[in-house]
Amino acid sequence: MSQVCLINIHKSYGRHAALKGINLDIGSGAFFTLLGPSGCGKTTLLRAIAGFHAQDAGDIVVGGESISSLSANKRQVGMVFQDYAVFPHLNVFDNVAFGLVQQKVTAADIRQRVTAMLQTVQLDQLAQRMPHQLSGGQQQRVGLARALVIRPKVLLMDEPLSNLDAKLRVELRRDIRQLQQEFGITTIYVTHDQEEALSISDQVCVMFDGVVQQVGSPWLIYKDPQNRFVASFVGSNNFMQVGKLEQPQGLLLGQPLALPPLVWAQPDCVAAVRPEKIVVNGPLSGPGIRVYGTLRQAMFTGRELQLTVELAGHGMLEALTAPSEAMVALKAGDDVVLGLHASDLQYFAAGETGARLA
Amino acid sequence: MTVPGVMSLAHWRSKARLDVWSLVMLGAIGLLGLLLVWPIGQVLVLGFLDAQTQTFTLSNYQKILTHPYYLGALKNSLIVGGGGMLGACLLGVPLAYCTARFVVRGRSVIATLAVLALVSPPFIGAYSWVMVAGNNGWLTQNIKTLGLTMPTIYGAHGIILVFSLKFFPFVYLMTETALRNINRAYEEAAENLGCSATARFFKITLPLVFPAVSSGAILSFVLSIADFGTPSIIGRDYRTLSTVAYNQYTSEMGGPPTMAVSISMLMIVIAMLAVLLQRYLMGPRRYAGALTNLSVPKPCHGAFGVAVHALCYSIVALATMPIAVVIYTSFLETNGPVFTGGFGLNSYARVIREVPDVIVNTFKFSLLATLLITLAGGLISYVVVRRETAAAGLLDALLMVPYVVPGVVLAIGFLLCFQYGAFDLIGTSTIIVLMLFVRRLPYGVRATSAVLRQIKPSIEEAAVNLGASPLQAFARVTVPLMLPGVIAGAMMSFITAINELSATLLLYTARTTTMPVRIYSAVLDGEFGIAAALAALLLASSGLCVFVVLRFSQSKEAAFV
Repeated sequence: MSQVCLINIHKSYGRHAALKGINLDIGSGAFFTLLGPSGCGKTTLLRAIAGFHAQDAGDIVVGGESISSLSANKRQVGMVFQDYAVFPHLNVFDNVAFGLVQQKVTAADIRQRVTAMLQTVQLDQLAQRMPHQLSGGQQQRVGLARALVIRPKVLLMDEPLSNLDAKLRVELRRDIRQLQQEFGITTIYVTHDQEEALSISDQVCVMFDGVVQQVGSPWLIYKDPQNRFVASFVGSNNFMQVGKLEQPQGLLLGQPLALPPLVWAQPDCVAAVRPEKIVVNGPLSGPGIRVYGTLRQAMFTGRELQLTVELAGHGMLEALTAPSEAMVALKAGDDVVLGLHASDLQYFAAGETGARLA
Repeated sequence: MTVPGVMSLAHWRSKARLDVWSLVMLGAIGLLGLLLVWPIGQVLVLGFLDAQTQTFTLSNYQKILTHPYYLGALKNSLIVGGGGMLGACLLGVPLAYCTARFVVRGRSVIATLAVLALVSPPFIGAYSWVMVAGNNGWLTQNIKTLGLTMPTIYGAHGIILVFSLKFFPFVYLMTETALRNINRAYEEAAENLGCSATARFFKITLPLVFPAVSSGAILSFVLSIADFGTPSIIGRDYRTLSTVAYNQYTSEMGGPPTMAVSISMLMIVIAMLAVLLQRYLMGPRRYAGALTNLSVPKPCHGAFGVAVHALCYSIVALATMPIAVVIYTSFLETNGPVFTGGFGLNSYARVIREVPDVIVNTFKFSLLATLLITLAGGLISYVVVRRETAAAGLLDALLMVPYVVPGVVLAIGFLLCFQYGAFDLIGTSTIIVLMLFVRRLPYGVRATSAVLRQIKPSIEEAAVNLGASPLQAFARVTVPLMLPGVIAGAMMSFITAINELSATLLLYTARTTTMPVRIYSAVLDGEFGIAAALAALLLASSGLCVFVVLRFSQSKEAAFV
């Protein structure tokens, strides 16, 4: 299997710069996810790797060889499409065989390899069906089998699950991950769904505005976001303005709090706390602040309880708690007290992609 | 680390890949320039020349816009065009509403009959109505024996009658498709907000199908203005712009046809204004259509049900009457031009004995033109749909031109252009084939484009990703998927090609006579037997093509508009 290196990739559409110097090293056999909102450049990058459009500058190296000069049909990178792109005039077998016929593999080999692949994706019973007789999930399995059977150096997936319903999405997600590990194939996966990205990947690359914001394991990305954009896009987060008193004292939600020196030195910054870190109506186990507020909305989702609390003069905070009897009994309008541990607070410089300060 | 050498190679390759289609684009623009822009340019220029001195003048146009003879023709054209359009709407919209909203028995029969009426040559309508209600018509004679006099069919009302019955299928088929695609929730929401059934129809349903109705209406108007055979046969002394242009051209033989081309320009301007007006009206009315939650036709019972069925069937019966008359007449026994009573195959025998070359010509020209249209149309539609460049936009705009240029006008343009040196094509088969080709190319392109737009680009990308070169991907994936549209388009082109009259009438010679031309002259000579037999052959061929389209096209009847 192959390592993929993207070296200083630039791409513009007219005046709009879609990719602004992308540098990435993707380890051999890794499941690597490009995560970001629509328009961040993730699909543009994937399509440049596939060869559907040429980058303006930079190089794409797969397994030590540059593929930038190869046309799309010579690149040996398998692609799975968002809208499946299963050929509607060919049955399941012929769809999967398409790439092998193109490679001029012998008929006997084609039969054997396609049959084996269809078994792997559990479509062997449907080999003679036409695409319009298949569900969306089955069509995407055809798309996956078709891309894998040609033994590509890299597998590219462009939001392959976004057209499926929620339950099927989770099921196919597991299958994709299992197949990827079985084949040990380097996979580059594009999605805007952060839960999907966290659950399926070895490495997640968060992109925004044509720039890589952070690369790391899902746990690292979630626990240790390097800038404000990553902190807000991956998982949910509460952001709060930080005021300044005498060093090292700062002001958060109207409460005094000792700030790290770097944060205190920064003229304009925000603090962030994950909703699940907020203590509702309970004691703090270390330094931090306690603030009083009014419950505006409580939403029970089964596994947990989402509380929206209004703090007088300081806007809303989201908190997540386990749904205990006492918590579920809370009603809109009730007074609550929220506790924030100093150790759970993260600080970012001002701006949409403000750097992490502490 | 950028690699300039590698990158320029990649660029060079992607440019080279574009080149196949860029060549197609250039070729198409060149072809349309030669066959469309040049002839129409000649017509335009000649209209500003003085017939004697060959100098610039506005007097031709001045004459047309002041002289009662031409003003009368202009007024008449607008009357029959407007009348035909109105009649087409009055027949088409109610029929569409009935078949879309109620369970009408034999809906597909109604649609098929409407399509048959649509694809039959327009002058056959005029000719049949003359057979039925003309001076010596069957109905006229029968009424005379009752001691009554029948009002004459000749004149404006006859033309409007024929146009209404000929062009209403456009309005009907377009409106029906639109009505079927209206999300039921819109009408339910209106009802929920307190609309009565009638108010709902006028406030919600009609505005939502207005784009479709107006498209059909404008098409009827433009085709009515351009039609030559109908006013010529049933109009008698009622002159329209197309008959005047034709007569001017044939009488100006020898001198430059300055008056004929000025009238031609007037016809183009009227058609363009009509299309622009419709675009202007449609501009702010683009509705996002959700194809979910479609309305289900309601069953209709009792007197109401009878009324609905009677309305539907009488409209299509009236519209297909000319076809029945033609077929009936073709089997009547004749002796020369005289019907001798009883049935026989005399007319067919005469046709095969006397004008076999005419039949061969028609099919030869039409097949050739269809072949060209299919090849060029397939390639051009790919370029227009898949390349979003300025050149593709220009090509798309050029393809609109034949819709607004009447056949008589383009024929005059051809005669002006193709008379010199290597381009001397006057009197050849080539000029007729080229005319058929360029007049019908847009219809072929449109049929294929419609299918192509439904083929997602990702399908082709998937083929390329699996190792197919762009041309292989086109051949192995795109072409098979386009094929139903291509076949439907080819059939449509063939139908219109075999039935073409107005343009051929100025281009034919004794050696290149076609069936519609021969029918036209037979009707003028009173040889109704020959006319009927030839027309029946045309109808049979058209019917066969309709059958093929209905088999291959997913959108069925809607494929014809």
